[in-house]
Amino acid sequence: MILQDDMEKQTKFKVLLVDDEEIFREATARQLRVRGFAVLTADSGETALDLVRTDPPEVVLLDQEMPGMHGSDTFIAIKEINPLIEVIMLTGNTSVENALELMKLGTFDYLMKPVNIDELLYKVEDAHARKQLNERKQQRDSNSTT
Amino acid sequence: MRVWDARLLQDNLPAGKQRTEHIYDYAGSEENRKQINQHFDRLQTRLILGLILGFLLPNALLSAYFHFQFTHTLKNSAILSLEAVADNQKNALDLYLRERIANIYNLFRSPDFTLHPPQEVMEGYLRTLRHFHDGFVDVGFLDPQGVQTGYAGPTPELLGSDYSDEPWFQHLMQGNKNHIISDSHPGIRDTEYFTVAVRQIFFDKVYVLRATLDPDKLFMLLRSTVQGSNVESALINAQGQYQVVDPKISFISKSSAFIPPPESPDQSVGIHELDIDDIPTLVAYAWLTETPWALLVSQPLSVAQAGMYRARLILTISLLCISLVISAVIFYTIRRLINDARRMTAKGQQLQEMLAHASKLASIGELAAGVAHEINNPLAIIMATSGVVRDMLNPEFELDHSPEAITKELAVIDSAATRAKGITKKLQEMGKTRMPQTEPCDINTQVETVLNRLKKVELRGKSIDIQLQLAPDLPPILAEPEPLRQIFNNILLNAADAIDDKGTITISTGVRDNMVAITISDTGRGIAPENLERIFHPFFTTKGGHHGTGLGLSIAASIVKYLGGVIKVNSTVGKGSAFTVLLPNNYYCPLT
Repeated sequence: MILQDDMEKQTKFKVLLVDDEEIFREATARQLRVRGFAVLTADSGETALDLVRTDPPEVVLLDQEMPGMHGSDTFIAIKEINPLIEVIMLTGNTSVENALELMKLGTFDYLMKPVNIDELLYKVEDAHARKQLNERKQQRDSNSTT
Repeated sequence: MRVWDARLLQDNLPAGKQRTEHIYDYAGSEENRKQINQHFDRLQTRLILGLILGFLLPNALLSAYFHFQFTHTLKNSAILSLEAVADNQKNALDLYLRERIANIYNLFRSPDFTLHPPQEVMEGYLRTLRHFHDGFVDVGFLDPQGVQTGYAGPTPELLGSDYSDEPWFQHLMQGNKNHIISDSHPGIRDTEYFTVAVRQIFFDKVYVLRATLDPDKLFMLLRSTVQGSNVESALINAQGQYQVVDPKISFISKSSAFIPPPESPDQSVGIHELDIDDIPTLVAYAWLTETPWALLVSQPLSVAQAGMYRARLILTISLLCISLVISAVIFYTIRRLINDARRMTAKGQQLQEMLAHASKLASIGELAAGVAHEINNPLAIIMATSGVVRDMLNPEFELDHSPEAITKELAVIDSAATRAKGITKKLQEMGKTRMPQTEPCDINTQVETVLNRLKKVELRGKSIDIQLQLAPDLPPILAEPEPLRQIFNNILLNAADAIDDKGTITISTGVRDNMVAITISDTGRGIAPENLERIFHPFFTTKGGHHGTGLGLSIAASIVKYLGGVIKVNSTVGKGSAFTVLLPNNYYCPLT
């Protein structure tokens, strides 16, 4: 029952997965979907930004190394559109330092490829929790000002 | 439009860390060290020899010049000195003889002179003569017939002797001089004497006063006027017969080995160098004025020039010592400087090697990072897909877990694993070293072979028009055919990938700047300026997904670089790219 409740909680939010590697993207999306997440996918930074504008997700899983618009540029653009959206960077070994730098700019966390699905789930949930916290805080702040 | 030159590609090092290959290579570094050592050895030898020669040669030439000048001066000095001795002695002798003649001449002027001098007058004459010079032995008065009518001296029996047949008497009578000094002769008494005779005319008749001189007194005079060590003097007559001589050297009756040239108005004194008893000797001569005798003054050359020899010895030893000291200073200074330079260079080289090693490590790090990144992608696929399979088998999710569905997912895993294998295989090819099997290759043939191969597989079904502009008389180049084909293969694949729907690839060959040029141009997307500098880096790709490994152009650039060639790229975004490969024209056909 507890598991059922947890799953119901998880299905409540939407995740955007951005990666140019189609097979990885779709396999990971399938794993998330069966766990109750509403998953949107994008193969580039540009497509991701379109989705953020039209169908804003709660959490974005964003590949750092992509041809065309780079992951870090995409992150900055997402935050400009909607600062409350939490972004988790997907990175290779080589771009860990870059990912850490991006955390200073406001990414929630980073995950190193290949990604363990359980770790992914924990981070996505934590990111979502923080987003909700931030939303409540913002709501409180706006109420106090009015 | 930008141009990027593959020569800039130095083992994929970051800018500022470019190194030539031999520095990375340990054997090359050893070779370098040997060459540097040899260079310093040569430099040291050249510097030492150059400086020593540069200093010693002028020094030696100057010394030789001064030596010859000095020797010449000293020789002249010795000659002049001996000539001066001879001249002084000659003057002393002439004076002596003139005085003796004057002593006798004055007797004619004495108050008690008569044409028939009695014995006591003659004794008086002898006393007078001996008063002036104790060398007078006797004195005689000769009448016009040459008969001695007056005599005083140790041999009274000479009174009445007839001298008319004596050579000196005849010379006196026939000559135009009023006096004569005879050669040394035994005369009537059979004892060697000189005769000094003076003639005077009284009442148209010639009377003669003669006196004999002791030769020993003349010898003593010679001895007393000699100057210098080992100097010997002697008097000879015109025939070379000794008149006065040191008994240790010769006897009066003997002849001199050297007869001076006859007296001339412009030369009465001279000097000669000759061997006397095998000893090089300087002999100065001077003809006397009062009698036809020559004074010989001799001195061994070794004594005459002893000063010169001593000075020359000191000069030579000094020069040798100075030269040795200077050579030693030059040698040790240069050796120390070169050793310092050698140490500095070794340190520099060590630093270079450390830097090269660091660069190499950095390069390996970059390569490893690239490999990790590229391998990570298929690994991420494998892991994600295996997660999907795990989910399918999890009854909780109620997914299709039929063998067909699972096999489909496993095929995805296989594909990703194959992709990772492809990357490692290409890496192995890049690092592979083997003996090259070169042969003369016709570039046009190689291009056509590659093109035919690609048309069958990679280019099949694509709307790409291939234009060939191959130069008919292209010179062959010496290379391995397969790597050569790989260059064209990789560039052509890149060109084909750059064309989205349909387009043209033009391949042209020709000779440019004595290099074989192959240009492969396409009408594809072109390369963005920011990517132009990275297209030859390993793992750089803009193709995305699993279409490219990012190694094709990197491998092509490595091969071109290995062949000593250059790759140039001209590209305009939206219009296309042109890759030009320039390979050295390195094959010369043997003459037939």
